[in-house]
Amino acid sequence: MSIGETKPLIDVRGLRVGRAADGRTLLSDVSFAVEAGRSLAIVGESGSGKSLTVRATLGLLPAGLVAQGDVTLAGRPVSRDPKALRALRGGTVSLLLQDPFTLLNPLRKVGKQIADGLARGKRTPAEIARRLAEVGLSADVAERRPYELSGGMRQRVGLACALAGDPTILIADEPTTALDVTTQAEVLDLIRRVQRERGMAFVLITHDLRVAFSMSDDVLVLYAGRTAETGPAAAVRAAPRHPYTRALLAAEPPLDRRLTVIPSIPGTVPAHDAVLGRCGFADRCALAGDACRDGTPEPRPAGPGRTSACVRADVLAATAPAEPETAPEPEPAEGSGPALLEISGLIRTFRGAKRPALAGIDLRVGPGEAVGIVGESGSGKTTLARCVVGLERPDGGAITFDGTSYGDLRALPKGERARVLRGVQMVFQDPYSSLNPVRSVGAVLAEALRAAGRDGGKAEVAALLDLVGLRPDVAGRPPAGMSGGERQRVAIARAVAGRPRLLICDESVSALDVSVQAQILDLLADLRSSLSMALLFITHDLAVVRQITDRVYVLASGHCRESGPTAQILDSPTDPYTRALLASVPIPRP
Amino acid sequence: MRLPGPAVAVALLVLAATGTAALFGGLLVPDATAQDLTTGITFPGPGHPLGTDELGRDVLRLLVAGASTAVLGALAVSAGSMLTGNLIGLPAGYLGGRADALAMRWADLMLSIPALLVAVVVAGVMGGGYWLAILVLIVLFAPTDARVVRGAVLEQRSRAYVEAARLQNLTSWRIMTRHVWPNILPVALANAFLNFAYALVSLASLSFLGLGVAAGSPDWGRTLSDNKGQLFANPWAAVAPGLAIIITAAAVTVVGDWLQERAERRRLAR
Repeated sequence: MSIGETKPLIDVRGLRVGRAADGRTLLSDVSFAVEAGRSLAIVGESGSGKSLTVRATLGLLPAGLVAQGDVTLAGRPVSRDPKALRALRGGTVSLLLQDPFTLLNPLRKVGKQIADGLARGKRTPAEIARRLAEVGLSADVAERRPYELSGGMRQRVGLACALAGDPTILIADEPTTALDVTTQAEVLDLIRRVQRERGMAFVLITHDLRVAFSMSDDVLVLYAGRTAETGPAAAVRAAPRHPYTRALLAAEPPLDRRLTVIPSIPGTVPAHDAVLGRCGFADRCALAGDACRDGTPEPRPAGPGRTSACVRADVLAATAPAEPETAPEPEPAEGSGPALLEISGLIRTFRGAKRPALAGIDLRVGPGEAVGIVGESGSGKTTLARCVVGLERPDGGAITFDGTSYGDLRALPKGERARVLRGVQMVFQDPYSSLNPVRSVGAVLAEALRAAGRDGGKAEVAALLDLVGLRPDVAGRPPAGMSGGERQRVAIARAVAGRPRLLICDESVSALDVSVQAQILDLLADLRSSLSMALLFITHDLAVVRQITDRVYVLASGHCRESGPTAQILDSPTDPYTRALLASVPIPRP
Repeated sequence: MRLPGPAVAVALLVLAATGTAALFGGLLVPDATAQDLTTGITFPGPGHPLGTDELGRDVLRLLVAGASTAVLGALAVSAGSMLTGNLIGLPAGYLGGRADALAMRWADLMLSIPALLVAVVVAGVMGGGYWLAILVLIVLFAPTDARVVRGAVLEQRSRAYVEAARLQNLTSWRIMTRHVWPNILPVALANAFLNFAYALVSLASLSFLGLGVAAGSPDWGRTLSDNKGQLFANPWAAVAPGLAIIITAAAVTVVGDWLQERAERRRLAR
């Protein structure tokens, strides 16, 4: 099939997705086109409709959802021709999925899985070896099964499978979200290289602005199931023409400096059909006027190759975004006075593991200090936190919290254990599993208050909700139906109910959208000063650790590689591992 | 709420009818066991839609009156075994370690015994009787329930909300009963439904063998047993109670599946 240079390989016009059962609309008026050799990133927070967009494009919507609109793939109109679409899928059009741990069949050898996608005459060992080499793997990987491979290798195999049918169009749905930062950087580099070499049209779906701008020529910003803004990546990044894009970019914490307040977007993403007939962003927008709530704003040209769905795009273009204030780097308070938490020589080896999860870690948190622990999965950072609060039993070493020393917190006498747990609390990563689905918010908080020796009455619960920025009527609701950000606020309220002296946050903002992440980071910083708590902040995200901590420990494979003032470690790392971590943060394309 | 499908609707109707018969059978057909030896055994005819048995008892009336012992007994078995299963499975799953090992070896031991055979032996040695049969079935069913509950608890135990509760320094008892138990309740209930169907058939089998309800009493299993010799004179006398057992058991299974699916959907929609 020969296609003219200018004719796009993917052309989607007026895409609309609705639910057949109740007639609800989930997505409207999404249009985009990608030419051969070009790449487009579809960016949006959860609920924006980015996954729905590609699934509708490929005819892979879940049962019960119906798509309308015109889709042309490789010059063939497919929106009304499921048969043609089936013929294209897996060959001309290929999809790379998010989770490298589930996308491969665990029982089949890698080579066989790649061969499945190859043309019938090409299923030879030599061809499979060539395909593996293309994604940077050696030929012997073909004989291995997925469980013998690391996450990064599996995603490379996933890519090789996606490329097996020699597609001209590659679509990747959050391809690196489940990977560690250093692995993510490698896989992103690989995808970009292969895409250029093969001259494929490439669509990348991501929630991560850094990844989007580092990977693609163009971006499409989705908000509440509608196009907010489109344009060349560099131009959109430099001067967004939609307030949502601008706010989203501002909410992304910078790696190179600390802000006094991270500009967050108030509220949460509304459902698409809750904001029909008006601008979906109006309720969260500082620029919003009457015109924004009167009719749906259509995407209009806003500069060369750009569109914006903001009726006040020219106002936006005329005003420079407010530069967020840079905070003075904190004075490191290490060594002054007695430590609140002192960990020495902590060792933990899980049964059957080849190496210890913690291989003798020393760590110290002073009263009121904010300390970060940075590391990738398997570094031992979570095991460390769990040992402190007694969810895990260390094999050796000592923990001293506020004058009480222990190895296994569960082995302490009841009274002392209660005293420690009143002083140290933890906020978990996943706000969905950390709240009991059958208990109302009020019951959860009342119980936490009573456990801390308070009466847990309505007034106290209301005060606690107010402290974390929630309205008192939330108390009667179950967690179902609450957004991730709201849930995480409840989880924080539960943790601070007894006014702990140390709050451990284990990846507490990693599962949240960028705009919400900024809200929660600001909340944690406020609580830290108003309750004079110390923070032990565990994360894989270096930009986040820069914003919220004074000192940082870098962990890898159960060892502490480096520690010191956060600014110093991030600006001039001495350990090669820290340097590798910093180098793996995606950089926007020039 | 989504409407139940036709199969579920029919099953619900069957259960409503069976439930009415079980609860109010004594009022509906007070003279079910009244004999009319002059009539003797007859095919279905006017006045007797399902005919009569050799004692001249109306088969339909016997069927309605027999629901009580059959259904309430099965209900007692499934409720009793669910209660026992929860009391054992909850601490076994949550506490783990020795409590778990002890409970599970007990369950293994119980499950290695052929259930119905034991019931027959025990009932035979102790002279039989309705309540003894129920008790034996509870003891035999409980290990399976304990395992199901334990499995559900294990799935919940590693959830962050349970760990958060542990960080509140709550007692294990409180975490088990207030936090974990409500979350496994749908699983336990669905299992109780399946047990009900199984208990219905098992109790009927025991009655059929003459080890449950006393001879001559209106009970589905018993009636089936009493009338098994009359298949040619009036097949309905034996077939009708048999069908009642099968249909009720099937209806309970259908409704149980439906409830479990609903609970699952709600959990996913969370």
